[in-house]
Amino acid sequence: MPFPAKSKGTTSRRTADSRTGNVATIALLAALALIFSYVEAIIPYNPGVPGIKLGIANIVALVALYRLSAKHAAAVNVIRILIAGLLFNGVFGALYSLGGAAISLLGMVALKKSGQFSIAGVSMAGGVLHNMGQLLVAALLLQDSQIFLYFPVLLFSGMIAGIVIGLGAAVICRRLEHL
Amino acid sequence: MFKGIIRKADILLAGVLILIGVAASLWISQFDTSGSRVIIKTDGKVYGSYSISQDRTVTVKQGKKTNTVRIHGGEVSVTHASCHNQVCVKHKAIHTTGESIICLPNKMVVQIQGKGGDEYDAISS
Repeated sequence: MPFPAKSKGTTSRRTADSRTGNVATIALLAALALIFSYVEAIIPYNPGVPGIKLGIANIVALVALYRLSAKHAAAVNVIRILIAGLLFNGVFGALYSLGGAAISLLGMVALKKSGQFSIAGVSMAGGVLHNMGQLLVAALLLQDSQIFLYFPVLLFSGMIAGIVIGLGAAVICRRLEHL
Repeated sequence: MFKGIIRKADILLAGVLILIGVAASLWISQFDTSGSRVIIKTDGKVYGSYSISQDRTVTVKQGKKTNTVRIHGGEVSVTHASCHNQVCVKHKAIHTTGESIICLPNKMVVQIQGKGGDEYDAISS
């Protein structure tokens, strides 16, 4: 396995073991993810279909999932989405993102546990699930089933974005043996 | 740089996802999203649904009552009606979503619906 999950209690996890260290690490990663969200929000890019974007911020959550734990990844994501929602995506944007992120993280944890998939594969599934989650939230909020016409578009865009993010995270994980 | 990252299961998963995506696109493309549809209802029930972009003439028969609906060049008009007041025949041709021609004596409604409409609601249920 190119990126073995680390067992607890190794010396390299010193910072993440203590409570204070945890808080600091999560805050640091959430801040980093927020910057990525901001960078993405200011790029003027409109593909015509809402919901298609790279989601660079997810690279942070993905690295957290692989180098720390699912709890860390969830915490980083929730903090990032809530603050990004207040700052630039809007409350409804945050709702969509939360739905997507929750489903995406659950799926990614499951795939990662299976041990069959690389970080790129896990991320690809995560990207697809993220978009599906958003689609579900949108369908619930809008009470309009026509929105499922976006399904194929969002599936493929989620795949592509997920693979790109996954490859990026793989490279970062390789350099971050001692997070 | 990316050497040794992608594994067999990844490619398998990608294949499955692509299949689902292609299948979903094919499925959705069946529902003619290209343009509006002409819905003809008689007595509240759907008699037929036709694409507005295809020229055709539909004869709506209900026993002795008949109406002839003409779809031509993106416009819909009623060219013949068996009823006595002929309101629907005198009605101007309709072409935008939401417009309708109604023949009260024959209880017939010709309606133009936008993309989706009833068909898509049926999918979600």
